[in-house]
Amino acid sequence: MIDDILYIVERYWPLLLEGLKNTIIITAASYSIGVALGLSLALLRSYGPKALAAAVTAYVEAFRGTPMLVQLFIVYYSLPAFGIVLDPLTAAIVAIGLNSGAYQSEYFRGALAAIPRGQWEAALSIGLRKWAAVRYVILPQAWRVALPALTNELIYLLKYSSIAYFVTVPELVFMGKYIGSRTYMYLQVYTVITVIYVTLALTISEGMSRLERRLSVPGVSITGRGQ
Amino acid sequence: MTVVLKVEDLWKSYKKNEVLRGVTFSVNEGETKVIIGPSGTGKSTLLRCINLLVRPDKGRIFLDGEEITRPGINEARVRSRIGFVFQHFNLFLHLTALENVMLGLTKVKGMPKEKAEEAAKKALLSVGITEDLWHKYPAQLSGGQKQRVAIARAIAMNPRLILFDEPTSALDPELIGEVLKVMEKLAKEGMTMLVVTHEIGFAMKVADEVMFMDGGRIIERGPPQEVILRPKNERTRRFLSRIWELYDLGVRG
Amino acid sequence: MALTVWDYLPVIFSGITNTLILTLAGVGLGFALGIPMAFAEVLGPRPVQLAIRWVGRVIRGIPLLVLLFIIFFGFPNIGITLPPIPSAILAIGIRSAAYQAQLFRGAVEGVGYGQLEAALSIGLTRWGAFRHVILPQALRLAIPGWVNEFTIVLKDTSLAYAIGVTEVFTQAVHVAQVILDYLTPLLVVAAIYFTITFTASRLAESVYRRVSVPGLGGGAAL
Ligand SMILES: Nc1ncnc2c1ncn2[C@@H]1O[C@H](COP(=O)(O)OP(=O)(O)O)[C@@H](O)[C@H]1O
Ligand SMILES: [Mg+2]
Repeated sequence: MIDDILYIVERYWPLLLEGLKNTIIITAASYSIGVALGLSLALLRSYGPKALAAAVTAYVEAFRGTPMLVQLFIVYYSLPAFGIVLDPLTAAIVAIGLNSGAYQSEYFRGALAAIPRGQWEAALSIGLRKWAAVRYVILPQAWRVALPALTNELIYLLKYSSIAYFVTVPELVFMGKYIGSRTYMYLQVYTVITVIYVTLALTISEGMSRLERRLSVPGVSITGRGQ
Repeated sequence: MTVVLKVEDLWKSYKKNEVLRGVTFSVNEGETKVIIGPSGTGKSTLLRCINLLVRPDKGRIFLDGEEITRPGINEARVRSRIGFVFQHFNLFLHLTALENVMLGLTKVKGMPKEKAEEAAKKALLSVGITEDLWHKYPAQLSGGQKQRVAIARAIAMNPRLILFDEPTSALDPELIGEVLKVMEKLAKEGMTMLVVTHEIGFAMKVADEVMFMDGGRIIERGPPQEVILRPKNERTRRFLSRIWELYDLGVRG
Repeated sequence: MALTVWDYLPVIFSGITNTLILTLAGVGLGFALGIPMAFAEVLGPRPVQLAIRWVGRVIRGIPLLVLLFIIFFGFPNIGITLPPIPSAILAIGIRSAAYQAQLFRGAVEGVGYGQLEAALSIGLTRWGAFRHVILPQALRLAIPGWVNEFTIVLKDTSLAYAIGVTEVFTQAVHVAQVILDYLTPLLVVAAIYFTITFTASRLAESVYRRVSVPGLGGGAAL
């Protein structure tokens, strides 16, 4: 077993490295889309006009209520019928990013709601306008509150980037399948890949909790969410 | 005179922090003893040791002459004979007022439900919790009501001794009186009590002895008139003068 | 006459059974493994606590798809060959166990030390305190998390497509490949998932309301 694993790493490391690169690209790109989208949606839903807020709610519920895989297939396989053709990597990034935006908007919304009323009142009382109050008083507190959930989301996306396998993006799982089909050493290949994922996940979680500690402000409470 | 509780040379430290440094005293049947002292001097730790929630490093504790600190003691049985009233009530959040009092009766004493209910109601009435409140959950009660239910929960077990750990510190000032009144009544009825409190009015009126704790030791003890009005120790004096200040403010404001 | 999705609707619907089997068996297996894990992590001796914490951490770091491939493609390497559905249930159940353990541990810790002390102080044993005071509160605190976990597992069952389980997503893709129209079957299957999650959440909410107690459930409480 150990010998097989060493053999695979030695023989196929360029493929695994290429897979890792794509996994990281999908994760990082879709996470960035998710943060930007999530924050905008949360602000719209919390402070925007009623009609827009309702539309945002529909978007969020639709994406959270259906599997990411279905969303990916819609983006990749059915958008071409409307003249939108995306290559597999882009399709994966877009689908995962849109999905993550829906979840992240919920994390931000929860964080915004967690800021006590008094903070609003104090901000308005010194003459700040609504959006200035959001920008200078509410957001600086809210995103610290949201940080643990945002960390979880990054780890979640790292794992879910693997669904790009279904649209033939050569990321880690895809490479694993390829190497497995050539060597018939599936267990060994996926053991290597598991080690890579777990190492990445633990690194992210360690790095983020360090960041949390550095950014933490006494009294601005930090609450995580399950997954 | 029957000695209910005897504490003998009790020591406890957390890591390097020596919290209890040789505490010795006893409480006789029907007595109320009050412990006062600055925060962080080990008062809660002392009460927790007596209820076996914390194991002392050294020293012995006797309940009705039986050493309860010896290894192999049935801790649950000992605790069922000692009531504990917490600063933050610690009522069971998933149970109504009545069920809170009944739990120990049914699950510890093995009473049938009807009998337990009857005893629980009696205990609740004795602390002034009337029928309209029996089926409320803790979250629906005021602080004073919660603490009285907690006292009823302790009383209902028919304990040899009740420990109170700052029972009024978490209460709004206007609710403190109702709890102290219940405690005073209990003392009058002959319950044996050990009370950690900063309510010196209560101590003056009810306590048979006041013990002043500082730095993990009892550094002054005696009748309340002595310790509270004419403290000998410098530290006792300083602590009490601060308490009096607050007391006066409270009375005036 | 061209076939439309409406002719194939029964084909898609026929996958619902397998989707529900995977979901319920996966959550069930996760519960059966996760609860003892949580107990051991809260009540066990220190080395056991640490071991379980790390096992949980590692499992939560593995993509479900990788777990699925390890079991379905990898296990035959060591002589264990499982058909698609049991493979999927095992993978989903193991993943879910790691999350349910975390969920339940959080709930037990959320009940708080004061409740344990109070329970002991009236003379309950440790087990009695756990059974009569901690557990009833922890289960209530855990309900919203469990509903969430159920919906996550439901959506995750779509990954079983990768090993050829004919669940609802697989059926939809097959239909799409035949009628050469992806959008309609995908929207249909999306609607199916949405309906199930929505119904489950509503159902759970009514259960939650029935067992909920003022001051217990979500909010901070004394
Ligand atoms: N479980 C514990 N672990 C570590 N230190 C503790 C623990 N409980 C109490 N202490 C420490 O023991 C000291 C005395 O605490 P306590 O008995 O609560 O004092 P008091 O009730 O007089 O305010 C404090 O310094 C406190 O920090
Ligand atoms: Mg204390």
